[in-house]
Amino acid sequence: MKKFNLTIYFLLLLLFPVCSYGQIEGEVLKPQNGKFLLKGGTVVTVTNGIMENTSVLLEDGKIKAIGTGIDAGDATVIDCTDHYVYPGMIDSGTRLGLVEVGSLAETQDYAEIGNVTPNMQALTAINPNSVAIPVTRVSGVTTALSVPSGGLFPGTAALINLNGYTPDQMYTGFKGIPMNFPTSARRGRWDRRSDEEIEKDAREALKNINEIWERATTYMKLEDADASLTYYPEMEQLAKAVRGDLPLLIEVNKAEDILKALEWIKEKEVKKAVLTGVSEGFRVAEKIADAGIAVITGPVLALPSRSSDRYDAAYSNPGKMHKAGVKVAIRTSDTENVRNLPFNAGFAAAYGMGKEEALKAITIVPAEIFGVDDHLGSIEEGKSATVFVADGDPFETKTQIKHVFIDGYKIPMTSRHIRLYQEFLERNPGLEK
Amino acid sequence: MKKMRKLTYIICSLCLIATQHLGAQTPKGNVLIKNATVLTVTQGTLENTDVWVQDGIIKKVGQDLSASKDAETIDATGKFLMPGIIDAHSHLALDVVNEATAPITAEVAIADVINPFDVGIYRALAGGTTIAHGLHGSANAIGGQSITMKYRYGTRNPSDLIMKEAPRTIKFALGENPTRVHGQGKNIQPRTRMGVEAIIRNGFNEALQYEKKWEAYNQAKGQKNSKAVPPAYNLRLQTLADILNGEIIIHCHSYRADEIYMLINVCRDFGVDKLVFTHVNEGFKVAPELAKYTMGASVFSDWWAYKFEVYYSTAYNAAILTENGVITSINSDSDELIRHLYHEAAKTQRYGGLSDEQALALITINPAKQLGIDEYVGSIEEGKQGDLVIFDHHPLSVYAVPQMTFVDGIKQFDINEDKDDQRLKVSPTERVEPVYLQVEEESCMHGVELFTEGTVLHHSY
Amino acid sequence: MIKRLTTLMLLVVMICFLDTPLAIGQSDQTGQRRVTGTYVITNATVITQPGKWLTSTSIVIKDGLITDIGQNVTIPVEAKTISGDSLFVYAGFIDLGSEAGVKRPEEAEKPEHYDPSNPPNEVAGITPERSVLDYWDVSDGSIAEWRKAGFTIAQLLPKGEMLPGKTALVVFGDTKSTNVLQESTGLFAQFETVRGVYPGTTLGLMAKYRELYKNAELKNQHAKLFTSNGNGISRPEKDKSLEAFYPVINKQVPVVFEANEELEIRRVLKLQEELGFDLVLMDLEEGSNLSSELLAANAHVALSLSLPDDKAKEADLEEATEEAKEAHKRVVEEYDVALSQAGKFEEAGVKFGISTNQVKKDEVLKNLRLMIDNGLSEEGALAALTTHPAAILGISSFAGTIEQGKLANLVLTTDSLFSEESKINYVMADGYLYEYDISKSNKVAGDPTDLVGEWKYTAETPGGTSAGEIRFKESSGNLAGEIDVDDPNGGGTVTRPLENISFDGKKLSFTFSIQVQGQKLTVQSKGKVEGDDFNGTISIRDMGEFSLTAKKTPDFKF
Repeated sequence: MKKFNLTIYFLLLLLFPVCSYGQIEGEVLKPQNGKFLLKGGTVVTVTNGIMENTSVLLEDGKIKAIGTGIDAGDATVIDCTDHYVYPGMIDSGTRLGLVEVGSLAETQDYAEIGNVTPNMQALTAINPNSVAIPVTRVSGVTTALSVPSGGLFPGTAALINLNGYTPDQMYTGFKGIPMNFPTSARRGRWDRRSDEEIEKDAREALKNINEIWERATTYMKLEDADASLTYYPEMEQLAKAVRGDLPLLIEVNKAEDILKALEWIKEKEVKKAVLTGVSEGFRVAEKIADAGIAVITGPVLALPSRSSDRYDAAYSNPGKMHKAGVKVAIRTSDTENVRNLPFNAGFAAAYGMGKEEALKAITIVPAEIFGVDDHLGSIEEGKSATVFVADGDPFETKTQIKHVFIDGYKIPMTSRHIRLYQEFLERNPGLEK
Repeated sequence: MKKMRKLTYIICSLCLIATQHLGAQTPKGNVLIKNATVLTVTQGTLENTDVWVQDGIIKKVGQDLSASKDAETIDATGKFLMPGIIDAHSHLALDVVNEATAPITAEVAIADVINPFDVGIYRALAGGTTIAHGLHGSANAIGGQSITMKYRYGTRNPSDLIMKEAPRTIKFALGENPTRVHGQGKNIQPRTRMGVEAIIRNGFNEALQYEKKWEAYNQAKGQKNSKAVPPAYNLRLQTLADILNGEIIIHCHSYRADEIYMLINVCRDFGVDKLVFTHVNEGFKVAPELAKYTMGASVFSDWWAYKFEVYYSTAYNAAILTENGVITSINSDSDELIRHLYHEAAKTQRYGGLSDEQALALITINPAKQLGIDEYVGSIEEGKQGDLVIFDHHPLSVYAVPQMTFVDGIKQFDINEDKDDQRLKVSPTERVEPVYLQVEEESCMHGVELFTEGTVLHHSY
Repeated sequence: MIKRLTTLMLLVVMICFLDTPLAIGQSDQTGQRRVTGTYVITNATVITQPGKWLTSTSIVIKDGLITDIGQNVTIPVEAKTISGDSLFVYAGFIDLGSEAGVKRPEEAEKPEHYDPSNPPNEVAGITPERSVLDYWDVSDGSIAEWRKAGFTIAQLLPKGEMLPGKTALVVFGDTKSTNVLQESTGLFAQFETVRGVYPGTTLGLMAKYRELYKNAELKNQHAKLFTSNGNGISRPEKDKSLEAFYPVINKQVPVVFEANEELEIRRVLKLQEELGFDLVLMDLEEGSNLSSELLAANAHVALSLSLPDDKAKEADLEEATEEAKEAHKRVVEEYDVALSQAGKFEEAGVKFGISTNQVKKDEVLKNLRLMIDNGLSEEGALAALTTHPAAILGISSFAGTIEQGKLANLVLTTDSLFSEESKINYVMADGYLYEYDISKSNKVAGDPTDLVGEWKYTAETPGGTSAGEIRFKESSGNLAGEIDVDDPNGGGTVTRPLENISFDGKKLSFTFSIQVQGQKLTVQSKGKVEGDDFNGTISIRDMGEFSLTAKKTPDFKF
């Protein structure tokens, strides 16, 4: 049934500023840098409250000014009446850029062979031209931590802004060393080891970690004493974690394991540590809060870890931890659907965390955890011009994201998904050629 | 007087016997939900409206209703009421998903392997899903017969979960999955998309031959002094013949536009018009064809890039299909997503600007049509079954939290009253409850690991 | 005249010799053959059937039959007397599902270019035509073990996959006899499939079953048509698998279907409802809530004697969280439910028998006692061992109770059967008497000197047979050892130390590790030591278990 709806067509024109900007058909869009004035919208600063009828001036890649009555000068003016300005959202756990097609091994670059490979750099392996990147950033997620996975120390994760043609252009100032803490949980329903076997494996793995950490500590001491050392890249990288130059991102989920991990952090006097995963964090929230360790948790849209768990255990996890005093950031753990980050935050908000805290969990909190809150995570003068404009609450699915800026570049609001939509909404030829 | 008593006694016992013979008559409930914003789906939104369910059927929709004494009254002021959500693609609560040892297994029936103890059923109800289409997996070009299930959680009898009014359905699969399992895994056809078409055509043609043989025998044996000998019985070919006779609705797992187009043509050749496509990530590329020749498409909200055949997908798929007149539904194919299909449907408002009505239809009346049960469920109308969900916010808002779910007028989920541990069966030897790091979601390729070593196929975090 | 008479007498005597049974005038150099087939058990408490006790009663047995029971019986001259004072006599137990002495048939050879989606019946585990008797070794040691536990008659279950074959009824008598009571008592079916071929899962199995059954019905029709009116009817193609179903279709023999759990039971009942065969459900572990369905379907039940272990139930909860304690309550509930199944079946009126193939012989009475503690009556338990299975098997005319004229199958215990201290003193099976030692046995902890020395081992792995040596040493009470293994990384052998050695006099287990391509693999071994023989297995996690046997090289002392 061929249908041509004029109303829809005009609505589309409104939805896609690309069209209303006098776009020439076939022209390839590029990110534009320059001076922009986001005029008269509601600015959700995250750290300084919500400012109505306020403008934001973006210049030289930075937020130059926030306020009313700012002189536009030669800036491109974007009318933000009835719109909202937010800081770019940060996903603190993804594989973005490290895999293209999930089932094709040739495109998987996140898991190297070997148990102790902290020297594998995610940053250099990130594909800046991954199709998933434009798909992600038009949703307002501007920043993502790309994390290797695999063995005990799978590599070094890197925080990237989703704009740039080389990894270095995308890199935005944070690296961390993930560590997969030995687990006494089952890997999945296909894991048929007996309870005793699992415990034994976990004990041996912990013993192994302690040996490796000991070795890295020795390496660090020798390095600091300027001793001559033979080439040992794994220990060299791990020594940075021992020294505290790079934080450990400890992936741990089961309640028992979380407690063991906290003990281990204390015992080894790890200088900087963050717990990631933490799907059973709500069971031991007070202990995590007492230890003063920050947490990156998610995805929120996930099944409970136990059959006896209440059905919304994963939805309410971030909220419960936050109430107990834990610093909580939210991640998707995804690659091609990192754009669902705001929805994960939305569910966390609905099931106990509250909208304000859920927003912080994907903006200022990860920025602080990664030590990049000097330029990301909120709308403050002097921070990076990494913001987006939406026609409503970005957690709501009805909301459209209108403009996205990353490091001062205005991002073309297109992706392959959108282009396919434009081509096929009304196919030509249609049914008959 | 004595005769009367005897008669009454006889009638009563006959009634009792009658009800016993009706077999597992599933329980039906009565409830009166008052003063809600009723999202009927087919007849607009009704403010401050009551819905009265009696014996499992919606008896009246209106204002200031009063019900019979045995109906619990629920005050839904400020709340939203919508029809129970229908998931047209699920593998939840099934002990086996794939009989992956042959490329055509039309003879197997998912109804044989329902597991009523799966706590996932309760979790789906807690997300407003009341009906799910339990499907055979996608390992085979022609898979097994699926079963439409009503989530009557709490029963020990798998037959109680079967929606008796639902028509027969069967699973087909095209593309990478059957070619990987059979062609690559066992070196038997199909290995290519060409082979998938050939296998399906072979199946249909052999079924026609089989039918002819039996027709000939049935005619001959009725005659006097018949020497007719019965041909061999082949349940597989019999089922395929039933498909050709329009008795079974095909739900076909497919991704690429060309394979969708291929099956549309094969079905047209054999006169089969009960065809629904599922997943159909590239459906938007053949939307006009889908609209004209099929019973619709059941899609993901935004899954893509996990296999090569879904690399060129778009989250705008559902919107494009809807705008082109295809009966579109959004499904989960996941024990996790089935719990928030209202949120998945809402994504079509971001990706394509569908209206509230259009978005809600994707998880109610449209999947009902695709399963052939729209006469009974899928909207809030007098005469339809009492499958209802109460939300505290509009279901298309990300902040919506389902409050109560009713199936056949019986409350199956209540956020305030239900206890946390909803397991029906517990192992007596479980010393420590297992904690799963990655709760494996039932997906289309469950059970085929033997044939497909190497790559992980289910969409995982 | 006298000469003719003498010749005649001689002839008569010779004929008598020819006719008389082996019992007279045959030499047996082993000295094992019994002297007489006539016995009398005097002055015992005889439980002729559940609920019927006779005190100070004697039983006369002659050549396998009970010839007399009573307080005053005439004791035949040739009878061997067993003093029954303070003994209790029960009817010999009948096992509805035994695997004693049953061997697994060899795996079907897969033809060279076969189609796994349409395999030959044998490859798919469909062999209903086989008889378990063809795979039964009447002299197998386990038969004696089960007899020691009181079992005298057993229905043997064939081993295999989906349709392994026909069950048969045997008596656990003397090995010189065939001991076969009935050749085909049922068609055995189970929810087992062969990996990688059709049918591969329960889905395929149920569809295949329906198809086989229907085709058997049609073929049966065709065969009848052909025999009754041979002119103009095409010849029915021989199909031994389908023909095996005829006795089931003709209601002569039931299907014996193994189903442990509730869902499996329901699936079998579904098939039964559709196809209409007589049904015996085998090895049920639960399902008392399905009693009315079972009775309505006229299905007979064999309850498995296996019960869940109590480790979880008895777990120490001192350091557990509140949550864990709540979860534990449910585990205890389920444990109690499992143990009360037998009692609930009894309550619902299901006359079930029992099957032993899932338990060890020491667990039989122990588990029955647990069931009695949880609701089963003692009478019901005894009935499950005797009268009910006799009825199910249709052999009540000659088995199941102690009555004149029935087969001489008896169990003699020192105390009432289900009391804790009761021991089985004698078992009579098929009229043959077996006596057992009931003195208190001392538990001896493993003596390490039993192991010390050199053992030559052989291991059968998929990679082939490998052989080598294991050496045990003892120092100050501690056992140590090492093993020589073929180096998996290339030529030669490596010696690996044994770790985690555990030995209790009979069972031995140990582990050792080996480097393969840079990875460390741990090999576990366990088995039984009997004198100089070790019989056990080695396993590497996830890769299966393989046989390991070893023989100690005798120490020569000069």
